This record gives sequence, structure tokens and C-alpha cells, in this order.
Amino acid sequence: MEHTWDFSSILASRDLLLVGLGNTIRLGVLCLVVGLTAGLFVGAARYSRNRLINWPATAFIEVFRNTPALVQIMWFFFAFPIISPFQIDAFTAATLGLSLNTTAFCAEVYRGGIQSIHKGQWEAAKAIGMSYSQQMRRIILPQAIARMIPAFMNRAVELMKMTSLASVIAFGELMHQAKAISTYNFNPIETYTVVALIFFIMIYPMAMVVQRVELHLRRSDQ
Amino acid sequence: MGYEWDFGIVLRDFDVLLLGLVNTLKITILALLFGVPLGLGAALLRLSSNPAVRIPVGILIEFFRSTPPIVQLFWFFFALPLLTGIEIDPFRASVLTFSIQSSAFFAEVFRGGIVSIERGQWEAAKAIGMARNQTLRRIILPQAVKRMIPAFLERVIELMKTTTLVATVSYADLLYQANNIAQSTYRPLEVFTIAALMYFAILFPISMTVRRLERHLARTGETTAH
Repeated sequence: MEHTWDFSSILASRDLLLVGLGNTIRLGVLCLVVGLTAGLFVGAARYSRNRLINWPATAFIEVFRNTPALVQIMWFFFAFPIISPFQIDAFTAATLGLSLNTTAFCAEVYRGGIQSIHKGQWEAAKAIGMSYSQQMRRIILPQAIARMIPAFMNRAVELMKMTSLASVIAFGELMHQAKAISTYNFNPIETYTVVALIFFIMIYPMAMVVQRVELHLRRSDQ
Repeated sequence: MGYEWDFGIVLRDFDVLLLGLVNTLKITILALLFGVPLGLGAALLRLSSNPAVRIPVGILIEFFRSTPPIVQLFWFFFALPLLTGIEIDPFRASVLTFSIQSSAFFAEVFRGGIVSIERGQWEAAKAIGMARNQTLRRIILPQAVKRMIPAFLERVIELMKTTTLVATVSYADLLYQANNIAQSTYRPLEVFTIAALMYFAILFPISMTVRRLERHLARTGETTAH
């Protein structure tokens, strides 16, 4: 079958795509900021020796890492409103699902990074009289964070891809706009090709940077 | 909040959920059966010394790694039939998408494993007169595969989580069945919670295995440095 590619209807719908792109970026950035911040606390809790703190953090991390992100989003959209004291729209549900998912993965990154710092660093900091939080803030984290950067960037890549799941609950991000455009114009070939390319252009450079940084860190470690 | 949980309603439909779980596993296993060999092939082509092979394969791998799987699935389900004139049902579209999508990730797992084996192994094999193919089969892969196992299982976990997307093209996987039951019983809280637990029950043991293997390999000094 011969298909004549025709991108004119896509060009005509570029405003819709731009709105979608804006929403994709808004959702991605918000969830990344929440995930990086909350992940530090959950990661620290997971690292704690106190079981009352350690256990709930572990349970949270394992549940969010070992269930599909789409199930999490649908849970927050369809199930959570029943017990939630406040209204949940598609954006809130997607933000909750993806933020908590990212928090769980980031928590593990923080934990792995902190554990990778040699014990002697803790001991030296303690020997010169630093408290636990001083040791963590001034000695451990600054060294650990450099090692964590590629893993965090990987999370950002995964997160940007996951934002497309919000289309399932009709949040108007890029993929949702694409569905609307292709239904309206009967042009799924062009629409989904263009949207795939937009995602690729957005995500591939991030993936490239991750590889560069990983290579650089590996070399400077040796 | 005075919400009364009632799991009885859900348990009555548990066989429907189980059927969904079987379909989820079916898609996952089929995607693995096609995706792993395809990934190995792609990894070997990407490691080729011929740039006319290496570069296009590299671009394809990166493309499938850097675009959301839902976009790929919709492309294969809605766009491909129009392009080729071949009818494609949700099941075939899903298996096709996830085989190719996971093969891109498996390719990187294989490549990471292969390049983690020291050069000396290649040179030694060559010195005793082995061809590149023989070296790969008899010397490199047997050592590399062991190191790849954690990364490989990690990808299996990701793959199974990604298969939930098939629900969006109306293939009756676990999530799709859960959504149907939630709508017919008006009990989304119980249904989605149980569905999530069913995924967890399968994925968590695999996760634990990954962690144990990683610890073991780290101790013996065998990592792919990923």
C-alpha cells in the first residue's frame, strides 16, 4: 500500500502540540523536583538504624518500585478520590503517582551514593567533632552527589517518558494531544511519528549527557 | 473518613483478575522470547567495526530507548496497519512493540556485558587461533552472561511493568481487567489496590533476587560498571 505522507494537518495543529509539550514539561519538571527533594528524606530514613523509621521507608520504596507506574497513576485517579479529603483532577493524580514513583527511585539513588562513600570519611568527620547532620551535610553528601548525578539524570529520562502515561487519564500532555489530533484528522501515521520525534529530540540529548558524565566519572575514579 | 472497605466484591471476581494476570505474563514472556535474541543480535551489530552497520543500529537502539513505549505502541497499533495494509490486533501489536522496545534495552545489557570483559581474553583466544565468532561464543559470552544477569532481570521487571500499556489498546491484561471490574462494581479502591498487590507479588521477589545477585557479584569483583 502506498501512503502519501502529509504533514500539513500536523502543522495546522501545532498549537495543540505546543500546549501538550508545555504540559509534558510542566508535569516532568514538577515531579522531578518533588522526587529529588522527597527522595533525600526517604533515602535517609531508609538508611536509618531505627526500625520505626527504616521499615516504613523501605516499604514505601519497594511498593513504588515494584508496581507499574500506570497502575499508580490510575490508582490515584480512580481509587484515591474515594478516601481523599480533597478533589483530585487528572493533573493532581498524575503528579502524585509520578512524584511518589520518582521519590522511591531517587531514595535508592541517594542511599547507594551515601553507602559508596568510604567509612573513613564518617570516622574522620566524627573525630574532629562534627555531629551526624554536619558529617552528612559537609562531608558525605558533597562527595556522594557527584557520583549520583548520572543515576539522577537517568531518572529524569525515565520520568519524561513516563509523563506520557498521564494521557491514559486524559491529562492534556503531548500524547493526549496526539490522540486528539489523530482522531480529528484521521492521520495517526503522521501524528504519532511526529510525537515520537518530539519525545526523541527532547530525551535523547539527556541520555547522551548521561553517557558522557558516566564515562567521565569512571575515568576520574580510576 | 468513614469509608467501608469491602474486598468481598473483588474476591468474587478474582478469577477475572487472574485471567488478566495470565495475559500479562503471556505478553511479557513472548516479548522476552523475541526481545532477547533480537537484543543480542543488535548488540553484536552495534559492536561491529563497520560504521555502516554500527551507526544505523545505534540510532535505532537509541530511538527505542528514548521514546515513550506508549507512543511506540500507538504507532504500531494505529499507524502501521494503515501504512502496510496488514490488519493487526491488540495482542500482535503489543507483542511486536514490546519485543522491539525491550530488545533495544537488552542490546545495551548485552553490550555492557561484552565490553566489560577484558581485552586480554579476546587476544588470548585469537592467539590460539579462534575466529571472532568462536571467541564470542566460547570465551566472551559465557563470562559476560553471568555479569549481565542483574541488569537483565532489572529489564524483565521494567518490561512487565511496561506491559500495562496494552490495556490502553484494549488487550485484556491485569490492569484492563481491574479497570473493568472497578467500573462494574463501583469499587475502584479495592480493585486497583488488589491489582497493584498482584503486580507487587510477582515483581518484588525478582527485585530481591537482583539485589542479592548484585551484592554477590560486587563481592567477587564482577560488575559491568553500570
